[in-house]
Amino acid sequence: MTLENEIYQFGEKIFNSIGQNAPSGFGKKGLASKLMQWSMTKPSLKTNLFRLVDVLPALTNSDVVAKHVHEYLGEDLTELGPMFKFGMKLAPGLPSVTNIAVKKSVKEMAQMFIVGETPEIALPKLKNLKKNKLAFTVDLLGEYSVSEEEAEIYLKRYLHAIKVFGEDTELQDTNKPIFKGHPGCIFPSNVSVKLTALYSQCTPLNFAKSVEVLSKRLSTILKLAMKNKIGVYIDAEDSEHNPIIYETIKKVYGSEEFLDFPFPGLVIQAYAKDSLELTKDILDFAKRRGKPVAIRLVKGAYWDSETASSELHGWENPLFIKKEKTDANYEKITKLLLENVDICLPAIGSHNIRSLSHACCYAEKIGVSKDKFELQMLYGMADPIAKAFVGEGYLARMYVPLGEMIPGMGYLVRRLLENTSNESFLRNTFHDQNEIKSLLKNPSENNNEIV
Amino acid sequence: MKLFNNISPTDFSIASEREKFQKAIDTLNLKISKSSFEVHPIINGSEESVEKSISRENPNDTSEKICQVHLSGTKELEKSIEKLKQGFLSWKNVNLSNRANTLRKVADIMNKKRFELSAIMTKESGKPWKEADADVVEAIDFCNYYAYLAEITLDPINTQIKKAELNELVYIPRGLVAVISPWNFPLAIPCGMVVAALVSGNSVIFKPAEQSSLIAKEFVSILLEAGIPENVISFLPGLGSEIGNAIVKHPSIDMITFTGSKEVGLDIIYESSVVRPNQRNIKKVIAEMGGKNCIIVDEGADIDEAVKGILYSAFGFSGQKCSACSRVIGVGDIYERLVDRLTSAASDLIVGRAENSASFLGPVIDKDSFERLNKFIENCNKEYEIGYSTIAPLGGYFIGPHIYKNVPANSKLWQEELFGPILASLKCNSFAEAIDVANDSPYALTGGIYSRSPKSIKYARANLEVGNLYINRPCTGAIVQRQPFGGYKLSGIGEKAGGPNYLKQFVYERAISENTTRKGFVPGLAD
Repeated sequence: MTLENEIYQFGEKIFNSIGQNAPSGFGKKGLASKLMQWSMTKPSLKTNLFRLVDVLPALTNSDVVAKHVHEYLGEDLTELGPMFKFGMKLAPGLPSVTNIAVKKSVKEMAQMFIVGETPEIALPKLKNLKKNKLAFTVDLLGEYSVSEEEAEIYLKRYLHAIKVFGEDTELQDTNKPIFKGHPGCIFPSNVSVKLTALYSQCTPLNFAKSVEVLSKRLSTILKLAMKNKIGVYIDAEDSEHNPIIYETIKKVYGSEEFLDFPFPGLVIQAYAKDSLELTKDILDFAKRRGKPVAIRLVKGAYWDSETASSELHGWENPLFIKKEKTDANYEKITKLLLENVDICLPAIGSHNIRSLSHACCYAEKIGVSKDKFELQMLYGMADPIAKAFVGEGYLARMYVPLGEMIPGMGYLVRRLLENTSNESFLRNTFHDQNEIKSLLKNPSENNNEIV
Repeated sequence: MKLFNNISPTDFSIASEREKFQKAIDTLNLKISKSSFEVHPIINGSEESVEKSISRENPNDTSEKICQVHLSGTKELEKSIEKLKQGFLSWKNVNLSNRANTLRKVADIMNKKRFELSAIMTKESGKPWKEADADVVEAIDFCNYYAYLAEITLDPINTQIKKAELNELVYIPRGLVAVISPWNFPLAIPCGMVVAALVSGNSVIFKPAEQSSLIAKEFVSILLEAGIPENVISFLPGLGSEIGNAIVKHPSIDMITFTGSKEVGLDIIYESSVVRPNQRNIKKVIAEMGGKNCIIVDEGADIDEAVKGILYSAFGFSGQKCSACSRVIGVGDIYERLVDRLTSAASDLIVGRAENSASFLGPVIDKDSFERLNKFIENCNKEYEIGYSTIAPLGGYFIGPHIYKNVPANSKLWQEELFGPILASLKCNSFAEAIDVANDSPYALTGGIYSRSPKSIKYARANLEVGNLYINRPCTGAIVQRQPFGGYKLSGIGEKAGGPNYLKQFVYERAISENTTRKGFVPGLAD
């Protein structure tokens, strides 16, 4: 049977096991799903709505909330009002019950994607994930660190989270691993680190110092993580900062001190034109290191801002413009990673059932067993998908954002945009009920531009 | 005809680009260590020997001499005028697209030498890397844009099509244009003014700020290399009080384009209004002057973006831009949080030699500025509530960032342009009040708001009195054509630089009407 046929059969099985279980954001209940469905049917309002969601958490008093709600939604409040059960009287100057209701609604919505404000608050939900046979990695949401004071606070938040998770005997119970013998379960808990927020003067023009300072701070995190048995991924960011990030990763992961850290993680973004080259470079690094690293393969989350920025500067866009190109490149890198499981632990991060199925089927084809790689998905966006794959015997890890509302808003808006964009696989899957066949189509077909 | 495209700034996230920049600095360092540069007046393509000269030091390191500037006097001025008058007679008749293409050649040469030119600015003017690069980029854009603009706007226009008459509006150059330029954009600003005058068909006397004579000389060499005729450009380095003054008063000068301080600008406008013996022309003056630019942050602003944007607007090139933000207003509750984050962020900005890529703030331009600003800061530290004040490294003219809180709106600190890394802040209770407070200034150059309220954004668009309004972004860094630049009120007079109306200032309009009939025969009428 050809790989394509296998992917189709496997993917169909996954779709069947998901059935009608839409992820929380796509169910019929809940504000988020209403908002998303509404904005999907009324694209003209999408911009205003998302701008409103973006600003709301920053507003500290109800008059200001009312003002913004009114300014963004104006006449559309008539239509939106009943949906939100706060009536049509929402307007500046009105007392706050309705306005508080709006903020509360947005908060509820955020809670679908953000696990909680502090590690302590998040613990029950994380344990719940574990009970459901889902691994996790926690990302701490944060504002930009504009000063060393703020960078220091951010570092401390990571150290605190590591301690909280590390000291929780239920989470850290190594006797009951989610997947026995899987390298992703050597350390039961895991954090994903946004490296650039650990140094306020992290810029390409301050390259050497940035690498130096970040290496020091990352080492601090790794030491504590090692002691507490917490796995670590370093997130990738935008192209301006990624060279600093990879340099730091190589320096720290390559140092004698952390050679015994099991599968320290990093991230490759397949939407970047140079990501295949980068993957080869990282695999070479892992070879030199002599001990494997974990590599999360994602498509990439900075497409809008990077595309806008390269247009403003007149720079060539470092990312693929077309989604199919990214998808095809993603599969190329998937193959490369799976062919190198002796030096890396591939973590296939996607909600796209085609991309995930491709990884699973290709692994099967080349004889890579299920304990040699894992799948990763975003918390709140893909629970039924994750469950379906777990049902097939794979390890799935949820990427779980943790933190306050304001810094979380950027994240939330990105997720909402992602879910309602025309190209979103999730939207196609759960909103439009597209033909399974077309959803499982090979992205390399009719895509000759891919090299 | 070629279209216009901005060239791209250097992408410093690419290691090889950083290496090229560093190499240019190393090369320049090597040259200077052998001997400092000599800057002479250049008339008719040749360097002139003069008696007086001054020495210019590296503001990053006052023990290092950068160049010796030989000061032009009235003799050089008279000689220039004689040559330029001759040159004008042929240059004005050179085909417009030939003149435009010469500008494009200037742009190409500058682009090839971009790192070399940037390196000079890091040392001579203390411009940090990114700022120096932006300066070169803007200079190149000016050349390409004015070349393009000349071709689309300076051709004769048929005013109305009539069978019996040919009615035209034609543009002719004014004659002899004096360019008096500042040190803060030592390449971009003089370049823009000089090439605008040249492409319109004028001949040019170029008097740079004495603080940035070396980069000015490089620019003139590039003009000549690109094929600008020798008798169309004169380079007269020297002191504003001497040669600058003499140029302004000279009866043969037809136009003065100036960028610099309000005091000097107003003085030029005044002196230019005086008709002196043998003067046959009313002098046209363009003057781009100062600003006391304000950014307003309202309660719904994205505070992360606001902090980053204000830091860059206020302290980029140490606040020595006419567009720099020197006033911040926080509306309501956000004020304290904003100022707290700004002050904490300011304390970590890297202050150091501009040649070091990491420096966010380099030195201020010279000893005068250094002493003036330090004295002012000393007073501010006594008079106002300090948000952040610091002592900068020694060895050069370094001044760290300064932030003051709850500054009274009628104070000197709030009202006067300081041209240094000093930021005043105050709190208002409403957005409308903030706009009023911002507008209560003699200047109207740049300004900005950070807000996510559609109504506030609309209100600021209509009511904030500035020539360049920036919404949810820094208030510096105007890009040629994209954001035509210039202010009103006491910030200046003239059309916006890098904008569609700029070149028309360098020409006279003539209307020509010709009766095309002969004894009742009108060509083409019967067809």
